[in-house]
Amino acid sequence: MATSLSNMFLKGIANRSLSRPLNGLFYCTRYSTSMSNDSDTHDDFKPANKLDGSGISLTNVIEQDVKDNPVMIYMKGVPDFPQCGFSSLAVRVLKHYDVPISARNILEDVELKNAVKAFSNWPTFPQVFIKGEFIGGSDIVLNMHQTGELKEKLKDVTSKQ
Amino acid sequence: MSSRGAAAVLSRASRIRSKLQSALEATVLEVDDVSHQHAGHAAVRGSSDMETHFNVKIVSPKFEGQSLVKRHRIVYDLLADELQSGLHALSIVAKTPRETNPNPNPNPAD
Repeated sequence: MATSLSNMFLKGIANRSLSRPLNGLFYCTRYSTSMSNDSDTHDDFKPANKLDGSGISLTNVIEQDVKDNPVMIYMKGVPDFPQCGFSSLAVRVLKHYDVPISARNILEDVELKNAVKAFSNWPTFPQVFIKGEFIGGSDIVLNMHQTGELKEKLKDVTSKQ
Repeated sequence: MSSRGAAAVLSRASRIRSKLQSALEATVLEVDDVSHQHAGHAAVRGSSDMETHFNVKIVSPKFEGQSLVKRHRIVYDLLADELQSGLHALSIVAKTPRETNPNPNPNPAD
């Protein structure tokens, strides 16, 4: 049934590591076509039953992301290998602060990309969330860095180990 | 689409300019096409969509009392058609006339 299929798909998204290297070239303006059921996923990393149950949707995944991760960025590429200048800028700014940065690569997943856009009602990437609050894109992150607002927002975020 | 027809006569930069100007009554409006800076990207090569990346600087009294996120949302909303038709990224500087004064005292965003 369609529901169980999409549940499998969603579990795949929700359980895969938040950030991992992508074996692609630069796609600054378009998403890549790779799907979430990558052939490079080893069985050991296949979804567990963590998100078992009904009603799971990409929106739920995003809600969980921004709830669980004090600094969450949806970006093109991964923090150590951004694939767009704007994503790169946002990561560079956030790395000024000693905080854990969680990321998802929206180039890997068109569905996720569209879901994030709908979730935040924001048309471009990167998109940064801090403590569940939508912050904006690279312009805003940079601006908040310059005004000291970002420091204020991140001051009670636990440093990474 | 209707915007297709317009695209033939009017550059995207001009459309962006006129949309923002009329809605925001901007006192300063700079629209720079920086698509060439992204021309090396795989997806742009061979694409007919040339005007994809813009830097936009707007000073408008309509931004008064609005947070940065809200200001950007206003701009994105005004340019929704462009974003649907190939505009890929905007770098936005959105200020109020008061904030461009030598002695700015911006309201904290709510």
